[in-house]
Amino acid sequence: MKVMNRVILVAALALYVSSYAAAQEMTKEEWQKQMTELTATRNDLKSKLTALQTEIDKLKKEDADKAAALKKCNDEVMALVGAEAAAERTFVAKLDEVDAKINELSRLSNQDLWARKGEVDDVQKALDEVKKNKMNALPKYFDRIKEQQNRIDALRKTLETAQLQMTYTVGTWAKDRDCLWNIAKKPKIYDNAFLWPKIWQGNKGQIKNPDVIKKGQVLTIPAKGDLTKEEKSAARSYWSKKTAAAVPSAPAKK
Amino acid sequence: MKKSFAGLFVAGALLAMMATGCTSKPSPAELKQLEDLKAEVSSLQREIAAKESEKAALMKAIADKAAQLAQCEKDKALVQERLKGM
Repeated sequence: MKVMNRVILVAALALYVSSYAAAQEMTKEEWQKQMTELTATRNDLKSKLTALQTEIDKLKKEDADKAAALKKCNDEVMALVGAEAAAERTFVAKLDEVDAKINELSRLSNQDLWARKGEVDDVQKALDEVKKNKMNALPKYFDRIKEQQNRIDALRKTLETAQLQMTYTVGTWAKDRDCLWNIAKKPKIYDNAFLWPKIWQGNKGQIKNPDVIKKGQVLTIPAKGDLTKEEKSAARSYWSKKTAAAVPSAPAKK
Repeated sequence: MKKSFAGLFVAGALLAMMATGCTSKPSPAELKQLEDLKAEVSSLQREIAAKESEKAALMKAIADKAAQLAQCEKDKALVQERLKGM
């Protein structure tokens, strides 16, 4: 009897399990419901996709229009300065040359820069030529040229400083032909003999008579520039004394 | 007592089986139709995501070009002004 009961119990359990499993399968109604929902979703997505594609097509056209307008504008700007590809390449090459020269000069010590001060003038001339070109007006070059000018100006300031700090040790007349006139005439000093009063007045403490400078004297070389009122006045006074003495001679021979 | 309990059990199970056995189920073809529809929806969702990205990229490109164009117009005016001074 016990065995019979157990068999019945197991069979009942099996029936429950199988009926539960059957209940988990999709019913026709559920299938229908999912089909309806998914169909609606698909239709919505399709509409959305179509709308998106329309929008993208419109945007593509807008992008192309903007690209064309940009090209037109750029062409107009280049036409304003009459820039053709070859001319522009030459212009850029000149700018590069100026850049290279400025870089080279900027790396020099003050003394070396002073010795090559003529090259600062040369590079300024080259830049002035570049500035005459209409392409100079193009923003992409304008700022670069402005920067180059600033760097040349900085080089000039360095030169002024170098000049302020410059000294000259007097040699002998026999060997170096050193007198104020000849010193002022030296390319490394003023490259202009008529500026000799500048050296005289800059060293008033040690030069009483501009005709007399001694070997080994260290002279301060004032910055190059036009003679000041005092320097002109000193020079006039010197020459009038010379004329009065009626002995023409060059100043400061040793 | 045990007998009546087991009997109730069997009766309940039979009723449940009858209930599920009477419910209609989708055919394999219908189930496939449902699966195909799900796949189509997934594919559409992916396609929409790609199109959204394309749209965003295009909008950015247009905005960039608009900015470049505005700059170009400014540059043009500036060049004209500078050329007058040359």
